[in-house]
Amino acid sequence: MKSRLPLHFVLAFLGIAVLHSCTENDDAGETGPFDRKAMLANFADELIIPAYADLQGKTEALLVSCEAFQAAPSAESLSIAQVTWVEAYGSWQYANAYNFGPAAESGLQKGLNEEIGTFPVSESKIDIALSTGVYNLNDFNRDARGLLAVEYLLFAPAENETSALAKFNNPVAGQLLVDAANNVHTRVQAVLTEWQAGYRDSFVNNNGTDVGSSTSKFYNEFVRSFEGLKNFKVGLPLGLRPGQTEAAPHLVEAYYSGQSKGMLALHMAAIEDIWFGRNKKGVDGLGFEDYLQTVVGGPALIEATKAQLEVVNNTLSALPTTPSLSQQVATQPELPTAVHTELQRQTRFFKSDMSSLLGLAITFSSGDGD
Amino acid sequence: MPLKINELNKPVHIAPMVVLRIAIGFLLCISTLRFIWLGWVDDHYIEPIFHFKYFGFEWISAAPPTLLYAIHGLMIVAALGVMIGYYYRISIALLLLAFTYTELIDIVYYLNHYYFVSIMLFMLLFAPAHRHFSVDAWRKPEIATTAIPTFWIFIFQFMLAIVYTYAGLAKINYTWLFEALPLKIWLPAADAIPIIGPLFTWKPMPYIFSWVGMVYDCTIVIWLLWSRTRPLAYLLVIIFHVLTGILFQIGVFPLVMIAATLLFFSERWHLRILTLLRRIFKLKIVSIANVGNPFRPIARPALIAAGLFFAFQLIFPWRYLCYPGNVFWTEEGYRFSWRVMLMEKAGTATFYVKDGETGREGVVVNSEFLNPHQEKQMAMQPDLILQFAHFLAEHYQAEGLTNPGVRAEVYVTLNAASSQLLIDPNRDLTQLRDGWQPKDWILPAP
Repeated sequence: MKSRLPLHFVLAFLGIAVLHSCTENDDAGETGPFDRKAMLANFADELIIPAYADLQGKTEALLVSCEAFQAAPSAESLSIAQVTWVEAYGSWQYANAYNFGPAAESGLQKGLNEEIGTFPVSESKIDIALSTGVYNLNDFNRDARGLLAVEYLLFAPAENETSALAKFNNPVAGQLLVDAANNVHTRVQAVLTEWQAGYRDSFVNNNGTDVGSSTSKFYNEFVRSFEGLKNFKVGLPLGLRPGQTEAAPHLVEAYYSGQSKGMLALHMAAIEDIWFGRNKKGVDGLGFEDYLQTVVGGPALIEATKAQLEVVNNTLSALPTTPSLSQQVATQPELPTAVHTELQRQTRFFKSDMSSLLGLAITFSSGDGD
Repeated sequence: MPLKINELNKPVHIAPMVVLRIAIGFLLCISTLRFIWLGWVDDHYIEPIFHFKYFGFEWISAAPPTLLYAIHGLMIVAALGVMIGYYYRISIALLLLAFTYTELIDIVYYLNHYYFVSIMLFMLLFAPAHRHFSVDAWRKPEIATTAIPTFWIFIFQFMLAIVYTYAGLAKINYTWLFEALPLKIWLPAADAIPIIGPLFTWKPMPYIFSWVGMVYDCTIVIWLLWSRTRPLAYLLVIIFHVLTGILFQIGVFPLVMIAATLLFFSERWHLRILTLLRRIFKLKIVSIANVGNPFRPIARPALIAAGLFFAFQLIFPWRYLCYPGNVFWTEEGYRFSWRVMLMEKAGTATFYVKDGETGREGVVVNSEFLNPHQEKQMAMQPDLILQFAHFLAEHYQAEGLTNPGVRAEVYVTLNAASSQLLIDPNRDLTQLRDGWQPKDWILPAP
């Protein structure tokens, strides 16, 4: 067998391959290599750090108003505290998709989401704390602290009352309120500081697609945030889990303040912003949409995603403003169920389709495709 | 090809066999240590509440945690035993059993190269790899020899040839060669790799890689067999496996292949390797002369057994032809066929469990039961979707549902195509059983 002949074949193949790739029609939009670093920078500088900075400010305002309320409890100071809570929690919707890096689990401390955002809270645990005066905001009872514990204190009516004010006749309540708000603010501050003190750069520079890369971690948390919205903020309260025989209104997010619907909309808006790479002012920078634009099959996925996002948003705006979501899931579940259905339809566009087209690693285990 | 028993019994030097034994033992030792160090014993075998079974091996279950770690510890010890040739038969048997057992615990971790390692271990179980340059040969000089039938070298070379060639044949399809998929997805995703990364964004690159990969797999054994092209071929082997090792998360497989492919080299090379090892580890020169030790030829039964084994290895990968549809989509007959890194596929599976009595249908949250890797693998493989459906029915029945039915909406994207339904979303999966027959509940490929 002459050794030259196969070499000629191989070169011929290669030549054909090169020619073919150069002359083929660009899949509409394959515009060349994507600058992941620039995307990560946009995420960090326009979305993540501003979100944490805003949250830091809003949780500080919450703390201040709680302290003011503790010092001089009245219907008015309570009302002010409640307003700052709503603003802080609304700000949290824009920061809860970044549960990695500084916000990640570390040792015994869980991720920021669990430490300050666990819901539903355990009413019994908090009530016990109120009656005994004994509590530890750094132990394992994450359902007895965080923003939703503050909500419970500020909004849940006292017994036989319509306002929470009477609860604060008990001095422990005021102290717990301030301590809980302080706990939240401290944790948020820690995360923000770490982002600003160097994590931002390491985040941006780690621009591969392997499992430890920023894009992979960011993407995984993005999907987790979306699925959390669908499963825990809509599905579970609606009673859609197998085994649930009816709706569970008390499982909605922000149950005591009745702000569930608004928070849901904010969370979804935040998710969308991430996908587009859009900051809170509406400036559209590099995001997953732009990334998808540059890969095979990307443009089709972009269209499908946008179309479904519109449907999702329509179902969200179709939700009546009254009654509260917790009541709707029990008494008029059709519209919230429609939200869930459309969120379910959106899942593959964010989850398997996107990770597959972008070639993002999901887990450490070897061998996808082998 | 030396197929006659007389030709297969021609004596050759044992050195290549020994080098293979040392390499496999060493690499499996490293691989197991890495596995433990990465926390994968917990992650893969202990933490999951549900495991996906291999067809026919449903009786295999994950041992209790302590025992699992003991088994992995045993694997390390056995691998060392294989490497240095100490109680070799026992070591290789234990290594084979332990390794294969851990693989059988959960099918979501199936990898072609784990299958390959099991095969290697199985063949090494019978091979006279310990009769030279080993503690056993040193302890019991009566078994020591430097001549073995060519049969033993031949079967390993033949197995490698099957693996490479079938991997190459699998690459001969339109998507791989003319659409350069999935490399057109994977290469740009690797553009952040130092130095060579930017090359991957060059548009012709996926096409070049696809074609070169196919030609390489299909012909490399030929180049390795021919002594004139062997050194260059081996250089290509190293480059190929190092590249794929950098590009993809495939563990120690590249090293295993680089080591196993050494088998094509002449005994001179292997003697040099052994001499080098002697020098590095300052081993006493073990007597090379095998005065009076009988040469053990293979007999007809061994030939027949090998014949049956290879007949299976040659035929089994073709079973996909018995099933209708696109094998990449249906995956009927996909595994154990050396389809290595051949497609980019992912799915999202939503399961609906209906109470038989009330008719109320609930939506399952998969992550309550599966880790991300399990969920990812399940969502694109129909037989695993079926297994999970049965598990869900049992689980929710125990939770109080009456006679639950399970259906699933599974959207799968294959090689960057728009995601489509993989299976009939209205079929009650609890009424279906996995088996050899074609699955009529899989929808046509896009």
